[in-house]
Amino acid sequence: MSELQKDNIGTHNQIKPGRSGSASFILIAALSLLLVAAAYCGYRFRALAYEQKHIKEDYSLSNNITFGIFSVDRWGDKISAVVDRRVKGFNLNKSQKADMQQEVEKQLHGMVNKAVAEFTRPQKGLGAKLKKLAFNTFVDVKEIHAMVPSFSRTIVTKVTSPKSLKKLKSVAVGKLNELEAQTYDLSDQTISSVEHNIYQKYKVNNATAFDKTVNAKLKQIKGLSYQYAIGMTACILIALLLWLILRRRVDSEVSLFVISLLFAFILLAVGVSSPIIEVDARIKTLEFALLGEKLVFNNQVLFFQSQSILGIIGTLVEQPKPDAVLVGVLLMLFVVILPLLRLIARGLQVSCTELLGDSKFIRFLAFDLGKWDMADVMVVGIAMTYIGLNGILKSQLSGLNIDTEALKVVTVNNSALQLGFFIFVAYVAYNIILSSILKRIDEQNGPCN
Amino acid sequence: MEKLINKPAKGKLIYRILLILALGVLLVAEGFFGFRLHELSEKQEQIKHDYSRVNNITYGLFSVQQWKDKVADIVHHQVSSLKITSKQKKILQGEVEQVLLALIDKAEALVNKPKKTISGKIQKFAIKNFVNSDSIRAQVPAFARKIIAEIDNPKNKKQLGRMALGEFNEIAKEESQDTAFVANNAILKKIYHQYNVSSNQQLNLKLSSTLSSIRQQTYYYCFGMLSCVIVVLAFWWFLRKRRDLHTTLFIMSLLFAFILLAVGLTASMIEVDARIRSLDFVLLGEHVVFSDQVLFFQSKSILDVVRVLISQSAIDSVLVGVLILAFSILFPVVKLTSTGVHLLGGKRWAENGIIRYFAFQSGKWSMADVIVIAILMAYIGLNGLLENQLRALNINNDSLTILTTNNTALQPGYIIFICFVLYGLILSTILKSITPHDVH
Repeated sequence: MSELQKDNIGTHNQIKPGRSGSASFILIAALSLLLVAAAYCGYRFRALAYEQKHIKEDYSLSNNITFGIFSVDRWGDKISAVVDRRVKGFNLNKSQKADMQQEVEKQLHGMVNKAVAEFTRPQKGLGAKLKKLAFNTFVDVKEIHAMVPSFSRTIVTKVTSPKSLKKLKSVAVGKLNELEAQTYDLSDQTISSVEHNIYQKYKVNNATAFDKTVNAKLKQIKGLSYQYAIGMTACILIALLLWLILRRRVDSEVSLFVISLLFAFILLAVGVSSPIIEVDARIKTLEFALLGEKLVFNNQVLFFQSQSILGIIGTLVEQPKPDAVLVGVLLMLFVVILPLLRLIARGLQVSCTELLGDSKFIRFLAFDLGKWDMADVMVVGIAMTYIGLNGILKSQLSGLNIDTEALKVVTVNNSALQLGFFIFVAYVAYNIILSSILKRIDEQNGPCN
Repeated sequence: MEKLINKPAKGKLIYRILLILALGVLLVAEGFFGFRLHELSEKQEQIKHDYSRVNNITYGLFSVQQWKDKVADIVHHQVSSLKITSKQKKILQGEVEQVLLALIDKAEALVNKPKKTISGKIQKFAIKNFVNSDSIRAQVPAFARKIIAEIDNPKNKKQLGRMALGEFNEIAKEESQDTAFVANNAILKKIYHQYNVSSNQQLNLKLSSTLSSIRQQTYYYCFGMLSCVIVVLAFWWFLRKRRDLHTTLFIMSLLFAFILLAVGLTASMIEVDARIRSLDFVLLGEHVVFSDQVLFFQSKSILDVVRVLISQSAIDSVLVGVLILAFSILFPVVKLTSTGVHLLGGKRWAENGIIRYFAFQSGKWSMADVIVIAILMAYIGLNGLLENQLRALNINNDSLTILTTNNTALQPGYIIFICFVLYGLILSTILKSITPHDVH
């Protein structure tokens, strides 16, 4: 279509001769240059937006909660690491030793008392009575009790000697490993294959390097896409300014209008194809106190989604359910196709071409279809969705925030409107300006002759 | 020529009455469909509420009662399989021997100490003569083995298992005496009773079959309503040349629009379903499976959505709630009334700016609600991102613990509302062509 319109520009240049011919030619050339620049910026912007989306999707995949808090294998690894450390680093300090000794003493005293009670209870047989007499004569219970501390000290020193502690630890660790081996799910192999895939894709070999690469890339993309978006808007603003300054030259107005339509087309194309809302809900940290150490899970992605208007329509249309498909088709019709048709119709209307037959139909498209062109409604709808979704997410996530000694959960909601949305807004605003200009031209020129 | 002029006066009335009658019947049918749809959607909402109550994660994964049997199995498994390996046994035995030997040495040293009292001396003498410390030392390994065997005794291990279970049962008992738990249990029992079932599985089976039949019925009623509207539009097509009937037809069409609006607003339009698909792991040798843990499962109509948003504390959510309210109720009602006023009222009314705006331009703003739900649907409902990514990597994800909102679905109320919006837009286009007044 744009070629057709360029044709129109050409014919108009040839038709309008005269003094202002060269001036308007220069103007059109300048505008065409701007148009190419805007198109390039728009193209780059869109490419960057998609790259950003893919990187973030990969990041959310590798940091998904399924492979973190929801993975029994991860918990198993973390817990056994803590317990292992605890067991291996296990050493008794003085007071613990004293406690232990006391405990042993208590046991020994108990044993002695029990033995003594056994001997001294009333006996019946002669032999037993003799035994009791001998015991009472020769054994001083007090003396035995007095010996208890030194025996218990022997036991404690023996048990807590580094050599036997080491042996006992090895037994305990073996036992723990056995238990750990009996606790697993299937996430381990999935995690490793996911990590393998992603690390290979980004040419890194561990999680920290991956994080670093991703953050650096995202930062770079953010800066660049801002530049391209600004570049695009600047081109359009300059074009509008030129229009304002030179609008007195009526002879080039039509060609100028067609070029402005092409600007609108670029805005629309970039606006509908770049991501508009990014929803990103994460558990930033989960700290779980275990044996005096902290188990920490960082950056667990609960939910991530970033879509463009075309992406939303695509997802709806791909659904097996007919109602979703219907909605997708309606959105496509009202938000993408109709605005496009109207742009084309306006071009045809202004250039008074007879190419597409009935000019009444073109007029209908250009003027009366505004009611069905829902790009402006889309802007309001997107804004409403974003605010509503954000509010609900925030309140749901804050419900997950926990701060106790044993468990600490911090959630974040990184949802944000994307630049694509603002480009789309720019399209709608620009469109309104174009409509009013078209009305003015139409009133000046009257219907096509 | 005379006939043609005379007839319309008489024929007009008859045609008009016929038209009103025909459309009246249609209107009653539409009203009936709408009423049934509304009723069914309310019933469905109730069932979903019950379903999510029964299958809620609080009664599944987070309930000690649910873990009771599983823990018993685990303890049993551990008790029967917890064996000290022979190597470990050797190490432990060595340790016990060391301690015993140390004790014997100590005792010997004590005995060998010079004694002062007579009894002490006799003791020393007796022990020296009768007790052979070497033979005691020789018995140490046997003793140690006995001690270890005692530790490794199955009976003792069972005792240990019983103790652990007892501790756990205590916790379960505590939970079962908790007031909140008791109250919930009573509710569960009531729900079971209400549906005439005795177990969770039966209830789920029953509820899902009821839900699917309701779903089918609501779609039938929904299509019924749509066909009524299509018939009305067909009337417009066939009567497009009969200008005398247009006003009547238009007013009747407005009534259809009102019914569509009322049903579209109150019938559920989106079903949000968030659940943990499955938890499948082996815990201490026991396979533990929890499936379909429901976090959130509700149907919402537009009015419910508005209520949720307005009840939020954040001012921006409230604002969005108010906007949806305006676009879905205020605008449509004002629009329908002003189209009526434009047609029936005098020229002064008809050319009033506000009336004209609402009659001709406001219709598309109701589409904002449709768009909001569509975007929500694309973001939440169809969020198979993780599954898609895994599938792209050729990874089987059936047994992974995945948070999913995949079953979120659109409901008939949404279709009805979209129909209302489109129908309203068509009506205002029709109005533009039949109105005698200036519309620009």
